[in-house]
Amino acid sequence: MIRLENLHVRVGNFDLRDITLEVPKGGYALIIGPTGSGKTTLLEAIAGHAQLRAGRVFMHDDEVTHLPPEQRGLGFVYQQYHLFPHLSVRENIGYGLRQPRGNGPRPADRVAELAGMLAIEPLLERRVRGLSGGEQQRVALARALAPKPSILLLDEPFAAVDPATRQVLRRELRELHEREGITTLQVTHDFDEALRLGDLVAVLAEGRIAQSGTPEQVFRYPNSAFVARFVGTGNVIAGTVERIETGDGPGPFRARFTGGSLVLDVVAEREGAIHAVLRPEDIVLSLTHHSGSARNHIEGRVVRLERLGPVTLVHLDVGRPLIASLTTQSVEEMGLKSGIAVIVAFKATAILLV
Amino acid sequence: MTVRSLVYRVALAALGALLVLFIVGPLLRLLFFGSPESLVEALRDPELRDSIALTVFTASTATLIAALLGVPLAYLLARRNFPGRRLVQGLIELPVVIPHPVAGIALLLFLGRRSEVGGALGQLGLEFVSHVPGIIAAMLFVSAPILVSGAREAFRSVDPQLERVARTLGDSAWDAFRRVTLPLAGRGVLAGSILAWSRSVSEFGSIVILTYNPKVASIYIFDRFTTFGLEAAVPAAVILLLVALTVLVVIRVLQPGERQ
Repeated sequence: MIRLENLHVRVGNFDLRDITLEVPKGGYALIIGPTGSGKTTLLEAIAGHAQLRAGRVFMHDDEVTHLPPEQRGLGFVYQQYHLFPHLSVRENIGYGLRQPRGNGPRPADRVAELAGMLAIEPLLERRVRGLSGGEQQRVALARALAPKPSILLLDEPFAAVDPATRQVLRRELRELHEREGITTLQVTHDFDEALRLGDLVAVLAEGRIAQSGTPEQVFRYPNSAFVARFVGTGNVIAGTVERIETGDGPGPFRARFTGGSLVLDVVAEREGAIHAVLRPEDIVLSLTHHSGSARNHIEGRVVRLERLGPVTLVHLDVGRPLIASLTTQSVEEMGLKSGIAVIVAFKATAILLV
Repeated sequence: MTVRSLVYRVALAALGALLVLFIVGPLLRLLFFGSPESLVEALRDPELRDSIALTVFTASTATLIAALLGVPLAYLLARRNFPGRRLVQGLIELPVVIPHPVAGIALLLFLGRRSEVGGALGQLGLEFVSHVPGIIAAMLFVSAPILVSGAREAFRSVDPQLERVARTLGDSAWDAFRRVTLPLAGRGVLAGSILAWSRSVSEFGSIVILTYNPKVASIYIFDRFTTFGLEAAVPAAVILLLVALTVLVVIRVLQPGERQ
C-alpha cells in the first residue's frame, strides 16, 4: 500500500502540490499527465530522492517520509533504464541481492528465476552495452524486482521501446504484477496504457492531481475540459449554459448550451460558462431525418474517415469539428464517405458538462 | 572536392604541422644527442640514481596526499551544489596560474621556521625548508589542481541517476559511491592522478626555492647544466624525458572515449 498525504515538492521553480493519493495493497495505479506535469518528480519524492517541503508518505501503514531511499524497500525502474554499464547483465540483476546469512535463498537462484520469467537467460553473461531497448527494459525490471520489493515504481517504462515490444512488455508486466503481488505505481503520458493496465489512475496537471479514480470513471466522467482532452474522452466544446426549464427545485434541469454556432439541448446542474464533453460513441449518424429518442439533431457533413480496424472515427463538420465513432461495418452499410451530408444525433443526457 | 576547400584543408594541415614539428623537433634532437653509452654511463652516477629515486618517492607521496584530500573534493564539486562552490573551484585552480617561483616563495614564507605554521610543524619535527617534506609540499601545491580537475571531470561523466538506482536497490550513499560511481570514474581519476604525478616529477620552479638539496631530478639536471655545462646535463634530461613519454602512453591507454 502506498499513501501520499498532501505532498509538496519543489524542484527548481516547479511545484508539486497537494498530492493525496492511495494505492491499495497489490494495486496497480497509473499517474498520467503531459510532459512537465511533475510525474517523474512525484516518483522521485516517493522513492525518497526528492526533499519534501510538506506532506507525508506511508508504505504499508508505516510512515517513511524521513527514511532514506535504501530503507524504503521499493523497486524503481527508470525511463532510460540506467543499467550499470560496468557490470554484466547477471551482475546488474543481482545488484540489490545480499548474500544471505544462514540458509536463505541464494542470490543466484533469484537471478535465474527472474531471467526465466522475463526470458533473458541468454543475455546473462553479456555486458549491458549493445542490448536493445526491449532487452534493457527487461533487465531493468528484473533488477528492480530481484530484492522482492513490496512496491514498484515505474517511470514511463515503455517510452523507449518499439510499439510491438511495448505490447508484449505491457502484458508481461501485468502478469508479473499479478504473480508477485507488488503494489505498483507507474507514470505514463499515454492514457491508453492506463486503460489497459491500471486499477486506478490519477491525472496530473501542472503539479496537481486534476482527477483520480478508476480509468473507466476518469475516461467516462472527466471533471474538467483538461482531463477530457488529455484522456481523449472525445469532443470538448467551450460554451455557456442557460436554464430553459422554470423549475425552482434543486438538482438537474433542462437547459440550452451554446458553443459558437452550436446550440444543444442538455441536462445541466449549473448555469454559466462551461465545457460540453461529447463522447464519439454516443453520437448517432443517419442519412435522413427520423424521429428517435435523441433530443439533439444537427446537420453536418463528413470530412474524412479514420479507420481503426473494427471501429471507424468519422470526422464531421457541424459548423465546428466533431468526431463520431462508429463500427466499420455500419460505416460501410451507410456508404459514408467524405463530403456526404449526414444528420448527427445524440441524447441530451449524453452531453457531460464540466 | 572543390579547389577552394582543398586549399583550405592544406592550409589547416600546414599550420598544425608546424606546431607539431616545433614540439617534436627539440625532443627528438635531445633524444638522439647523447649516445646510449652515455645514458648507461650517467645511470652509474649514484647522485643521479639517488635523485631519480627521490623524485619518484616525493612525487608519489605528493600524489597520494593529493588523491586522499582531492578525490572527495572533486566528488563534491562534481555532484553537490553548495554555497561557495564556484569560489572553491576557483581557489583550487589558483596554483595553475601562479608562476612557480612565486609559489615557492609563498610556501617558504608559510612553511619556513619563522612562520607560525612552519614553526609549529618544526616543533613536531617536520622540517620543510631544505628537507624532503619541502619537496613534497611544493609538488602537492602545483599538482593538486590537476588531480582535482581530472577527478572532477571523471565524476561528472558518470550519470548521477545511477547512484539513485543503487540507492533504491538498498545501497547507502557510501555503498552507491563505492560500487557504482568509483568503478565508473576510476579510470578517469587514475588518469588525473598520473597526470598530477608527472606534473610533480617535472616541477622545478618552486622546489628550487624551497629545497635545493637533496636534489630531485629536475634540479639535478639544472645543477649539472650550470656546473658542468650542456653535455653533462643531457643524459639525465633524456632519462627524465623517457619517463614523461611512458607516462603519456599510460594515460592514453587509460583514457576511454576518444578512440574510434
